[in-house]
Amino acid sequence: MTEAVIRNKPGMASVKDMPLLQDGPPPGGFAPVRYARRIPNKGPSAIAIFLGAFGAFSYGMYQVGQGNKIRRALKEEKYAARRAILPVLQAEEDERFVKDWKKYLEYEAEVMKDVPGWKVGENVYNSGRWMPPATGELRPEVW
Amino acid sequence: MANVVDAAGEPIPTSSVLMAAAKHIEINCMPENVEFLKCKKKDPNPEKCLDKGRQATRCALGLLKDLYQRCKEPMEGYAGCMYYHTNEFDLCRKQQQAFEKACPLQ
Repeated sequence: MTEAVIRNKPGMASVKDMPLLQDGPPPGGFAPVRYARRIPNKGPSAIAIFLGAFGAFSYGMYQVGQGNKIRRALKEEKYAARRAILPVLQAEEDERFVKDWKKYLEYEAEVMKDVPGWKVGENVYNSGRWMPPATGELRPEVW
Repeated sequence: MANVVDAAGEPIPTSSVLMAAAKHIEINCMPENVEFLKCKKKDPNPEKCLDKGRQATRCALGLLKDLYQRCKEPMEGYAGCMYYHTNEFDLCRKQQQAFEKACPLQ
């Protein structure tokens, strides 16, 4: 019923004579639509891109080298400081070790005084070099 | 700790103090240190190198006392900064410049 009301043409005989109400193109048609590719061929060439990448890479590696030089200088400073104070620390430790070693030798002589043929102390290795005592503990009273 | 000398005026050789004075020790105590290291290389037995070790320690402690007497404030600042940053030279550049300006390395 509503279609007949909307599309009414005065003087139509039946519903079959209603005028068409369609969605259609405007008169003269639509404007032409471009669907062809249009990718411009300008910009840097392959060689230019390659050289640019290579240049960025080399600059970055150069900066890495500079940074490594700086870091090596810092490390060298730290190591030089450690080398400088090494004798003081080693001398202190030597004094402490000698004191403890003498006490240990007295203890060993005390313990092994009844064992025949036991040379107290220094009966470790035969190579002639001095080796630190291999008791498995560096300083038992500390640990 | 961050004190360079104890109550009696004797220098305390903690790691921060020694690292702060390391460049001075390297230059001023070089003969004693080299002698001690040569002795150690020849024979690692501690009993054989005690006297050279004592010379090296005496030189270093004397140098610490001398530095403390010559420039007390910058040295204390530098040693304190070293103590705070656990002996990182790069974090104590300001105190290092002040210390080396007051007691130059020679």
